Amino acid sequence: MSDELDEIQAIFFEECTEGLTTAEQGLSAMQAGDVSAETIAGVFRAVHSIKGGAGAFGHADLTAFAHKFENVLDEVRAGKIAPTPGVVKVMLSSFDVLSDHVETAKGLAPRPNDAAALAALEKVLADKGADEGGAAAPAAPVPAPVAVAPAAPAEDEFGFTPVAFALDDFDAPAEPAASNASWTIRFKPSRAALANASEPMLLIRELETLGATIESVDVSDVPPLRDLDPEDAYFTWVLSMPGDVPQNDINDCFDFVAPDSLIEVTRNEVEAPAPAFIPVPVIEAAPAAEAATEDLIPFVPVTASIEDLTAQVQQVVADLAATPMTPAPAPVIPTESAAPKPASEASQTIRVDLSKLDLLLNLVGELVIRNSILADRLSPADRQRVELPELARLTRQIQDNVMSLRAQPIKQAFSRVPRMLRDLSVETGKQIELETVGETTEVDKGVIEKIGDPLTHMIRNAADHGLESTEERIAAGKSPAGTIKLSAEQKGARIFVRVQDNGRGINRERVKAKAIEKGIISPDAVLSNEEIDQLICAPGFSTAETISNISGRGVGMDVVRSNVEALGGRVEIHSVPGEGTTFTMILPLTLAILDGMIVRLASQRFVLPLAHVLETVQPEPGQVKRTSPDSEVIDMRGEYVPVKRTTEIFGLNDDRPVEDSLVVIVESEHGKVGLVVDTIDDRREVVIKSLDQNLHPIRGLGGATILGDGSIALILDIEALVASANRYTPKGLAA
Amino acid sequence: MTTKTETASDCKIVTFTLGKQTFGIDMGALIEIREWDEPTPLPNVPTFIKGVSNLRGNVIPVVGLAERLGWEPSAIHARSCILVVSIGGKQAGFLVDEVNDIVGITRSEIQPAPEVETIESSVIDGLVRISTRAKDGTRDENGTMVLLLDLEALSLTKHLDMAA
Repeated sequence: MSDELDEIQAIFFEECTEGLTTAEQGLSAMQAGDVSAETIAGVFRAVHSIKGGAGAFGHADLTAFAHKFENVLDEVRAGKIAPTPGVVKVMLSSFDVLSDHVETAKGLAPRPNDAAALAALEKVLADKGADEGGAAAPAAPVPAPVAVAPAAPAEDEFGFTPVAFALDDFDAPAEPAASNASWTIRFKPSRAALANASEPMLLIRELETLGATIESVDVSDVPPLRDLDPEDAYFTWVLSMPGDVPQNDINDCFDFVAPDSLIEVTRNEVEAPAPAFIPVPVIEAAPAAEAATEDLIPFVPVTASIEDLTAQVQQVVADLAATPMTPAPAPVIPTESAAPKPASEASQTIRVDLSKLDLLLNLVGELVIRNSILADRLSPADRQRVELPELARLTRQIQDNVMSLRAQPIKQAFSRVPRMLRDLSVETGKQIELETVGETTEVDKGVIEKIGDPLTHMIRNAADHGLESTEERIAAGKSPAGTIKLSAEQKGARIFVRVQDNGRGINRERVKAKAIEKGIISPDAVLSNEEIDQLICAPGFSTAETISNISGRGVGMDVVRSNVEALGGRVEIHSVPGEGTTFTMILPLTLAILDGMIVRLASQRFVLPLAHVLETVQPEPGQVKRTSPDSEVIDMRGEYVPVKRTTEIFGLNDDRPVEDSLVVIVESEHGKVGLVVDTIDDRREVVIKSLDQNLHPIRGLGGATILGDGSIALILDIEALVASANRYTPKGLAA
Repeated sequence: MTTKTETASDCKIVTFTLGKQTFGIDMGALIEIREWDEPTPLPNVPTFIKGVSNLRGNVIPVVGLAERLGWEPSAIHARSCILVVSIGGKQAGFLVDEVNDIVGITRSEIQPAPEVETIESSVIDGLVRISTRAKDGTRDENGTMVLLLDLEALSLTKHLDMAA
């Protein structure tokens, strides 16, 4: 049981992470001026479901904070608090505290101090009251006539039809909860509740913590023992709840209840002789009207029938709770069909284990291969028939689709930046504005996971070193707030991720002096501006005068470069003194696909990553010279490049004259090498299969791939080959 | 030397031969048995790793098991097979001379390998293995001694760590 709970809780935390991301994106959009109802509703939903889940798992602090936050959002959503920059700012800092609370709930961080944020939220709530002059009209903006649905935009964004009520007594005091009233809650979990991991016991306990008591349990549905399925839920609980509990809170308990459960929440006035209520299927949400007596406080019992109900219920309930009204609900118009969800509904997603995708990719790749083998076996006449090309096309399509499943918008990697910059802004006392461009660019999941750290370092570097202090900026005639622009774009099979600041630019004199001081370069070295800029990425380099908390340990940019190179990418730095610096990470679009040149070495096929290939030459007699009994160089227009033969890779005999072969010049970080190959077969994209999945990394090999005929070709690791080749060769010749 | 053919088995093994020896591995670890197909050779690996093969889109290493255990390398012939096994989630193919049978054994019948013998025959490769008298155990008559292999000890990463 506890294991199961842990699992469910893990899902909750995953959802929290997603919810936080959504909320942050929404809040950032609001900060940027997008205060559309849709954006606000998105943030509200995210915070609301975090609150709901947190309640179910007993994270009281998180629940309490989220609740307060949600209150403010609710008011904003209802248009009662204007999303002014000030309010959005409070919400952003509340968001940060909320994130911290989630971390606390995960047990990863101590409980954050949320007093300031709570106070700020309180103040926002209170100020609203002042602005509105205490108007007692917290419900739908327009008192709707009977049987006409009010058309509040925020509600439309939610995609449901609100229940309309005649609001004759609109001016009555806005305090509906009478202390002697009570709630009656009927709850019958759906038969599938347990299968959906919604344990009714947890829910009832949660209700009990709100003060509910179980009145009765209806066991009439329990079948004879013989037919009893222990996985099914058969009971119906009737609980009573003190009337001072807000209906919102009651409904919150049912946030995560499986569809098809019966939930009825009804309000009973003490004077009322009987709790006469009419269940209104909210999903149909037809305006309800019923002639009721004056002494009955109206209520809307709800019968939940779909998962997404909660938000809708909440809206209805919020309207009701806030509106002391004369009951005049419209007649119930039960319709069989549920209201269709509008197109604006968030796209449906499912969580899939990445290894399953990889397996799928493997199998589809194999399908493509079998397909072409089959084609080869058929007679030419059969091959022309429509079925085979059709099959081939379909399998290709499946393959493309599976590949695209691994692609994710890069905004997942960008999403943590705004928070980081807010913290950095506080730490450094600099005003920093963030601009993001191209965050919908899709990149392989593996790449996204791995650029997080480099990106963090680059942002910190830009905030700490790149941007000047406010005073300096003003003195330099710039706007007081520095801007960091984060952008992503796809060019061919590469993805460019840029971090651009409009700060002071790289101080090349200082960088050079520091590099000399640290012994990274010799004092008499003559370096181009670009070379000096690159020194920033040298190991152990840092120009920050004091080691700050942010950057300055001299590992940051070094880490960036090595991480990016490990991904098969590179870092480019462009700096203009006084105008700013741009760091560009150029990354492969996917880690699973490689643009390769297929060559033969000693009759075995290998793949050379095309990114490393400079040129191919057919050596002239005498162009390849021996520098020692077992090392050679090739004369490339006056530049001597070490030559590497198969012998050095495999220990095979390869005494053929080099003039019969081709030399492929490849380049890496460490220099160039000429690789002697027999022939060049092809140039194509190959799917990289790691060897260490079943073996271990082998020096000189970057992996393997499966060719069209089902055979395996090894992918050469140019870095390693070049590094070993240059060991034999005097430095002067290699350079 | 009691004969216990009647005993209910509690685990199944696949038996195969390498030279004149009969070996067994736990049936649960076996993924499939394939015909010998020349694998793609790898550079910079011990000679017992014959290369890598394509198993339905998965690149798996192929190990010459006889060499790995310190016997004469297997000659490839018509009955040569590759046993594809899963060792701790990692897949590997073992080249064997012939696959014999699937037999049930009881764990209580498994005897520890005599230490002296083990040291003599396997210390060279650093192999830890359990040899047993399986089935009807009478060595003098029809019985065959089956050497049960400890697959974990054959794990490729483990061995290469030592080699490196």
